[in-house]
This record gives sequence, structure tokens and C-alpha cells, in this order.
Amino acid sequence: MIRIPNIPESVVVKHGPKAWPLGLAGAGLLIIGSLLSWSFDPQVLGDLSISFNPGALQIMAIAQSVLAIILLLADKGPLTSFGEWADTALALRALATWALLFMALVLVAITVEAGGLVNIEPGGWISFLGAVLVFASSRLVLPRETRDLGHARLPDWSEILVIVILMAAILFGTAFALGLTDAWEFVLFLMVVTGVLITGVRAGLLTWLGHVTTRHKRVLMLAAFAVAFLFPFTQNGSDANMSIASQVLIFAAAAMGLNIVVGLAGLLDLGYIAFLGAGAYVGATMSTSAFATIGWKPPFIVVMLVGGCVSATLGLIIGAPTLRVSGDYLAIVTLGFGEIFRLTMFNLDGNNGPNLTHGPNGVPAIPDLTFGSFNFGDTHTLLGIPLARFSNYYFLLLLLIAFIILVFSRLNNSRIGRGWVAIREDEKAAEAMGVNVFGLKILAFVVGAFLAGLAGTIKAHQDVSVTPDQYIFLESAFLLAAIVLGGMGTVAGVLIGAVILKLLPEKLRFFADYRLLLFGLLLVLMMRFRPEGLVASRRRQLEFHEEDEELAVRVEGDIAEVVI
Amino acid sequence: MGIFDQQNLDTFVQQLVNGLTLGSLYALIAVGYTVVYGILQLINFAHGEIFMIGAFGALSTSLVLFRGQTALWVLPFMIIGAIIASVGTAVLMERFAYRPLRHAPRLAPLITAIGISVFLQELVRLNYNHVPFTSWNPFNLPDAKSRIPFPQIDVVTGPAFQIGGVTIQRSAIFTIGALLMCAALLWYFINRTKTGRGMQAVSQDADTARLMGINVDRIIVVAFAHGAVLAGIAGVAQGLQNNNIDFRMGFLAGLKAFTAAVLGGIGNIQGAVVGGLVLGVAEGMATQYIPGQFGGSPWKDVWAFVLLILVLVFRPQGLLGAKAVDRA
Amino acid sequence: MTVTAEAVGAKAPTGVPLLQAEGVIMRFGGLTAVNNVTMSVSEGEIVGLIGPNGAGKTTFFNCLTGMYKPTEGHVRLSGVELPPKPRAVVKAGMARTFQNIRLFANMTALENVMVGRYCRTSSGAFTSIVHGPKFRREEAETRERAQELLDFVGLGTSTDHLARNMPYGNQRRLEIARALATDPKLILLDEPTAGMNPLETRQASDLIFKIRDSGLAVVVIEHDMRFIFNLCDRVLCLVRGETLVEGTPDEVQSDPRVIEAYIGTGTDDDDEAGDTP
Repeated sequence: MIRIPNIPESVVVKHGPKAWPLGLAGAGLLIIGSLLSWSFDPQVLGDLSISFNPGALQIMAIAQSVLAIILLLADKGPLTSFGEWADTALALRALATWALLFMALVLVAITVEAGGLVNIEPGGWISFLGAVLVFASSRLVLPRETRDLGHARLPDWSEILVIVILMAAILFGTAFALGLTDAWEFVLFLMVVTGVLITGVRAGLLTWLGHVTTRHKRVLMLAAFAVAFLFPFTQNGSDANMSIASQVLIFAAAAMGLNIVVGLAGLLDLGYIAFLGAGAYVGATMSTSAFATIGWKPPFIVVMLVGGCVSATLGLIIGAPTLRVSGDYLAIVTLGFGEIFRLTMFNLDGNNGPNLTHGPNGVPAIPDLTFGSFNFGDTHTLLGIPLARFSNYYFLLLLLIAFIILVFSRLNNSRIGRGWVAIREDEKAAEAMGVNVFGLKILAFVVGAFLAGLAGTIKAHQDVSVTPDQYIFLESAFLLAAIVLGGMGTVAGVLIGAVILKLLPEKLRFFADYRLLLFGLLLVLMMRFRPEGLVASRRRQLEFHEEDEELAVRVEGDIAEVVI
Repeated sequence: MGIFDQQNLDTFVQQLVNGLTLGSLYALIAVGYTVVYGILQLINFAHGEIFMIGAFGALSTSLVLFRGQTALWVLPFMIIGAIIASVGTAVLMERFAYRPLRHAPRLAPLITAIGISVFLQELVRLNYNHVPFTSWNPFNLPDAKSRIPFPQIDVVTGPAFQIGGVTIQRSAIFTIGALLMCAALLWYFINRTKTGRGMQAVSQDADTARLMGINVDRIIVVAFAHGAVLAGIAGVAQGLQNNNIDFRMGFLAGLKAFTAAVLGGIGNIQGAVVGGLVLGVAEGMATQYIPGQFGGSPWKDVWAFVLLILVLVFRPQGLLGAKAVDRA
Repeated sequence: MTVTAEAVGAKAPTGVPLLQAEGVIMRFGGLTAVNNVTMSVSEGEIVGLIGPNGAGKTTFFNCLTGMYKPTEGHVRLSGVELPPKPRAVVKAGMARTFQNIRLFANMTALENVMVGRYCRTSSGAFTSIVHGPKFRREEAETRERAQELLDFVGLGTSTDHLARNMPYGNQRRLEIARALATDPKLILLDEPTAGMNPLETRQASDLIFKIRDSGLAVVVIEHDMRFIFNLCDRVLCLVRGETLVEGTPDEVQSDPRVIEAYIGTGTDDDDEAGDTP
């Protein structure tokens, strides 16, 4: 039997049988309380003041209690066959802890926003009591030995169904979260999501999901893209969220390109933003803007290729020192190149060298893209839903991201990808086994730069203007942070990192000011506690934990699975 | 017109003086990179921020304790304030950010350094003039989001000396003097004291030094503190020279000082001093003598970065030779 | 020296010199680690390289494989001068293992061997991205060949094991499989039995015979005398960077200078008896 921390064993043994009814009662109270009014003031946190008409936060509370009931019934009751696999006791503990935190924060929020504890109606207190009871019961439930969920298999159709449901949840969850205008509500929703995710991890369900998704990779990819494609249709023509979403995609595209250099080839590039900038400047100077300095105006697809190639050429130049330099020094060299790029763009204003970029003023008034008669600036209606300017760019960027993901994952799973791993592991040995170390490093730089260049040309049109101060060192650091946070060498990780780093500052005004401060702290903490990132590449995880033998044994199966 | 006519010579000497002043500043900061590298083989890229924090430490001392005072006796207090701030930051940084990563892959400390760098800059930018999360500003400190005027001190600032056609700022003399004194003290410390010899031992072979009873952790802290002392003094010098400071000043200065450290052979303290001076003079001369559109001050940082890259690529062992060569 | 050289000529199985190293000298500053060593290896031959610690055996290997650029001397494979670049040397047909195992620890056994195929495949970025016919063909071939080689060295069942999780002896085998994956004509093994028990050592020599029988030449650095004298057609003894003796195992074994070199360095570092006459 596994000993429970915090509570003496004697208490657990004596009161253990009460856990189950206690938990059900608590969950029931939580639901009843959530159906009643929480707050006197209808102005705060959406509207929580009308009984039997639950607001968003109350629905979240109900969802948590339903989940708690399911876990309790899986522990003992009609769902025990599910309980055999999942570790319901640990899951319940995580869920109850987060639900209690959630309720406590809700009460704090009402108090702060409406001005005083008196604004809390009995319903709020009942729900809080319910959360406390569930929490108490979760501490008394005994963990049991469970079967390994890694071996659990459902029929294919139901596994695919799980993926589809998951994706749908992500779609509506994201749309819902972006719709929340109140920072408190947004934070509370994030808390619920985090709580549910941790509950899933504790139950072992996430591991199982990991296996399911590797078994049905294609389905997952298709579903993910379908969700991303459907997203603008959930916005009812509002372009505010689409503006954020397309910013996220540009950022993610660049981060993914950087991930080839950092995550796959293991080279630290601190000047990567220059490649995005090079693409953007090509896009700007070859656009039909009145301030564009290059007379040639080919179709945009050609401009994109030119942008990619110019960027790739820069990548070649920046990558060339890898022949002689590696490690920290290489990072500084790339940083130097990045700064040289920015300063050069700043200086080429006609007074200090030829006029190419209009110096600090940059190239403004870049017109929207047009493909034939399709103008990206116009609102188009599809299936009765209006899709405005940023939605148009969003779709284009989605295509680009799909292409980048394809390049990333195919290179990773090829002879070239194996070469990169070998270089990361032991450069000398790789060279001695005939791997073209220098060539592969350069290739990483060139491919990464090319992809960023493509993204840059679109960015120029989307942002309307291009100026040197968009391409400072901090932006490179930001891209790097997305990778570090999300996970080096994984696609999902970078997407998650990009979303977190770009979305949170937009939604939380407090965050916006402290964005960089928190971001700096985040880098330090990630390196200290989880250097491989949130969604870790198994191999990267191993590399960062050289001495962890137990981990190496545990993930062995996963590595082989990924490769094949 | 001959090359050696009086005006050309004056210009040359002027740039030499400017370069040496700038170089002294670089040298003071560069020592910090080199000392830590010599012991840990770690490049502390957040060292530039230590320099920035030093300048703010001096500023705070002056504003909180001696507001409006310009007498010379304030200067030592400002220097002490700078040193307390920079050493405190450096020690905390070592303890909480770098120490846990001693055996991590090389990527980890580098990314940590970037994180620390951004964190410290933002901390100063956002919170210099009030206690975090409040608007309480007990000492009426200025907002650090823009440049802040640095207090001027009698004797050390003021009218420049004019020798022939060459102008020498008083603060330049302070900077160069500070470098000479620090270099001498550092040399004495490393070669003549027990702790200094401990540092040498650890830089030779940390494991053996540990077996010989040297407290390696302590030595590492001492190394960080040393770099910080010099960076703090450099912060004061920079403030006196430019008349103002801002939260971004550490980034470029740090990078240039790092170039100086590499130029002199990283890990080599004399090298850092020589490298700093060489870089400063090179920068001064480049500003003056690179002709045409790509010369002059708009391009001076570009040339500095070009030099940085050339040094790293073609002479990573530096002018005087580095302690360790393999940077893989 | 002349005597032993003649003996070699008489014993060379096919008489075609595959590897010729002539007058290789390697100096590090004032230290001469390898001094004028000449060695030739014929097809299908197993040559042993012995010598006390610090005799320059591994340095000599590094010179042969292009890890070091010899200060002086030539290395030829099948009559063609080898450039001092490891990659070119592998491509030319000479692969090696390392004294302190240098596997790609976080890759599986199969992946490790597949990396060895790198220099014999040429799928570029483009075909890899579009999964062109060349990519598909090479990828399938690489996988198949790697699995064959794992079977060959007796690791057929450890395909998906991480290299770092494998037992020591298997890591040595895996390193050999990885080297074999480069399709070498000649393989250099740096202490393949270091740290092994007698059973593993015997298995290792079986494996080396098997490699020889498949048509490769082998050069082995070893400390284990019994192992080397059972295994090799010819043995070269290095002392202080110079060739002390070269000949058949019997000749070398009975040469008093070899015994003296080993015992001499064991008791007195300043013993000069190791010098060639």
C-alpha cells in the first residue's frame, strides 16, 4: 500500500470508508451551490447573480464536480472497470486541490471586484463548502495498484473518436477562452484547464492519450488542422481575436524554423529574428507601397521565394562560422549577426549608405495582399460567417505552418535528422562515422532561415509596416523562449510555447507590463526545473538528464515508437 | 598636407585617449567574464547587467543618502553603493541560477543567462522608482523607463583639461585610474593571498582542489564577486562619463567587454585588460578613420560586432592565448 | 627491423597492401607521441598493435583515421593517399571504434548503426521532405542493412534498446556494428575487450574472426596478450611512439625486447631498453 503524505495512516484507516460518501456529498453541494447565485453584484465576473441560470464560472464549477463524481464512481461503484486502469485516487486529489483553489479564487475575485465579502451570496459559500468536502474526501481515498494504461487499447474507431472529441474540446475551449474579456475569468478558466490536465496526468490518461495519438498520427494531424481551420468560423466575424491568432501563427512559424536549428541541430541561434526581418524587408521593399525602394513587383509567390532565398543566403553566411566555432561562442556570433542586421537596416536610409529601408522610419503603408481578385483586406463571407482581414491572413499562415511542420518532421525522421542527433550526442564520433557535420549544421541554418524568410514576407503585409525596432535581440530571445518553454525538437511544444507567450500578454493586462520580467524569470526557472520543456522530445529529455538512469529505461519504448 | 601635421596628430592622439578611456571601461567589465570563465568554464552573459546594476546602485546611494551633494567625498560612498548592489546581485545569481546547473548541458546556463539578463533589465525598468506591486516610492527615485541623469561630482566631472589640441575629460582620468588601481589590487589578491591561490588551484583542476580541502563553492562565489566589484566600479565610471545611465546600458557594454575578454584570451586576467584597451582604441580609430558612408558613429556598433565575430571565428584563443581552447 | 619486415612479406595472405602508413610522425609541441611508425595491412589480415600505456597506439590510430593531422608521413588506403579528414577516411573505407566507447547514447541500437550508413547514402533535404523514391529506397535499405549488422554482431534482439541502457559488452559490439555499417575495407578496433570478462573476450575474438572471414582487414589495439596472440596474423609492438618489433605473434611473444619493454616500464620509467637498436 502506498502511504499518503500529510495525513497520519491511522486517520486514513479509521475514516477511509467515509471518503466515498463524503466526496459524493461534496460534489453534490458544489453543483447545488453553483446553480444558486454566487454574487449580489451582477456586474462582476460575467453575471453570477441569477439562480438556476449559471454563468461561465458556475458551469466550470459544475464541470469539475461532475468529473469528481465520475472519479469517485470509478473508485467504487458502477465505473470500476475504468478505475482498474486509471489511478483515480491520485487524479481525484489533483482535481479536488485545483477545484478548491478555483473556488477560493472565485470568492477572492468577487470580494475584490464587487468590494467586500458581503457581496458573496449563500450559493458561493455552499459551493466552497462542497469543494472543501471533496478535498477532504480526496485525502482519505486510498491509492490502488492499477494496470498500466500504456497497454490499454480500445477499438480503432473509438480511439479516433477520442481524438476528435479532444480536438473539438480544444477548438471550443480556445474560442471560449478568447471570448472571455474579463482577466479574472480568463485566469480562472486557465486554472480549470490546468487542473483538469493535471488530473489527466495523475490518472495516467495523458500517457494513454500519448500512445493513442502516436498510433493514429495522421488522424491527429488532420484533426488538428481541421480545428485550426474551423477556428475563424467561431468568431462571428470579429477580427480582434483573429489578429491575435495570426500574430501567434507568425510567431509560431518563426519559432518552428528556429526549432530546426536549436531543437534538431542543437545550435543556439540568438540572431534568428534577423531571418524573419530579412523576409519582411524583402516583402516590404518589393511591395506596391509608395515607400518601397525596389522597382521590381513580381507576384507575391515570387516575392515569398525571393524573401526565403535572401534569408537563406543570410543563413548560409551566419552558419559559415560553425566550421570553426561552436557552443557559446557560436551563440554570440549569431547574436552579433542579428544586431548587425538590425543596425544595417537602421542605417540604410540614404545618408549612411544607399537608401533601401528608410532607416528608423521603415517602410510604412504596405498594401494588403491580393491573389487575383481576392483581396486580403476585404471581408469575405463563407457559410454565412463573415471572415475579415486577419482571418484571411490566418488561413494563409495556416498553410505556411502546415508546410513548415512538414519540413520539420520529415527532416527530423530522415537520414539528416539522425545526423543531427548524432552531432548533438557526440560531434567527434559523428564525424568519425562519416557524418557531414559542417554540412548538416549549415543545412539547419539555411532551412531555418528560409522558412523564417517565407513567414517574414507575409508578416510585412499583415503588419502594414516594417521597421528595424521590430527585430531587436529581445525578439530572438522571445522565439528561443517559446522553444524552451514548449519543448525543444517537438512541433506541439513550439505551438504551445508560442500560444502561451503571445496569447497571455494579450489577454492579461497585468501580464502585458510584466511580460518581459516574467519571461526572463520563466527562462531561468525552466532551465532549472524542466529544461526539456513542457512537451518534451523524449530524446531531448534524456540529453538534459544524463544521470537519470530510471528515466532512460522508462522512455526507451517511446523512442523506438517515434522513430518507426 | 603631410600625414604628420599638427592637426592630424592631434586628432590621432584624441582618438587614442578616447579609445583608452573606453577601453578601460571595457577592461573593467571584461575581467568579470574572464575570472568566472577561468574557474567555471562558464560564460556569464548576464555580467553586463551586473555593470548596469552597479551604476544604479551608485545612483541610488547618491539620491537616497546625499541628494544634491556634489562634493568629492560622496564618490567613495557611491562606489561602495555600486559594489554592494553589483556584488549582491552577482552572488544571488550564482547561488540561485547558475549553481544548480553546474552539470547541465552547455545550452542550459546560456539560456539562463539570457533569462537573468532580461529579468534584471526589466526589474530595474519597472521597479526602480517604486516598491514592486505598489506605487510607494519612499525616496522619490526617478522613473527608470527613460535615461536618468547621473549625479555630477566635483573634481571628477567638470571642465575638461586641454593639452595642446587634445581634450581630456576628468572622468576619463577617473576611469583609467580606476582600471590601474583595480588591476593592481586584483593582481595582488590573486597572487599573494590564500583565497587568490585557491582560485588559481580551482581553475587548474576543480576536483583535485576539492580533494585538497579547498571549498570550491566558496571560491566560485568569490570569483563572481570579484567580477562584480570591477563591474560596479565600471558602472560608476560610465555614469560619470556619460552624465546619464539607463537600464539598457549593460547589453552592448557587456557584449563589447566579452569581445575584449575573448580578444585577450578568455580566462586570462591580464589578457582581459589588454583586450579591453585594444578594443577601445580600435573602436575609437574606426569611428575616426573608416571613410565614406559606412564610417562614422552610425556604423561604429556594426564595426564593433564585425570585430566581435572576426575575433570569435579566427582568434578564439585571443591575442595572449586562452586557458582552455575547446568550446564545444 | 629488416628481419621482421621480411617475415611480414612472407606471411601476408594475399600480398596486396590495403593500408600503408609510412613514416608517420605526430608531435604535440615538444612531445613526439608517434615517431616514424610504418605499418602496412593486407586484405583479410588481422594485425595487432600492442605496447605499454602511453606508447602512442591510440594517437597512431587517430593519425590513421584523420582525427589528427600527422606532422609528417603518409597514410594510403588501396594506394590512394588519405586526407586528414575523418569523414573522407570513412568514405574511403576505413572505420574505427573508440577506446572509451563513444556511442550516441540517447539513440537506439538500430539508430546508432543507421548513422553509420550516413556516408553510404545521399538522400538530400529535398527528397527527404517530399519522401521521393530515392528517400524511400535508401531509408528501407539503411534500415535493413542496420538490422543485418545488428544480427551479425549478435544484437539482433536489442534493436530498440537505447545505447546508454545496454550492458557494457553489448555497447562494444554495437560500436563495431556501427563501424561496419560504413562498409569499410578495414576496421580499426581500439581495445575491443577492455573491461570484459573471459567469456565476453572469447566472444569478441570470435566476432573479429567473423569480420575477417567476411573479407575485411582488422587492426586491433589490445593489452590482453593472450587475446592478441591468438587473434592476430601479425603484431606490431610500439614503445614510446616508435616501432619496437614487428612480426608474427610467436616472434613478438618471444622477443626479449618486448618482455623487457613491458616489465621495464612496469618497474622503472627511465629504462631506455625500449629503444630500437
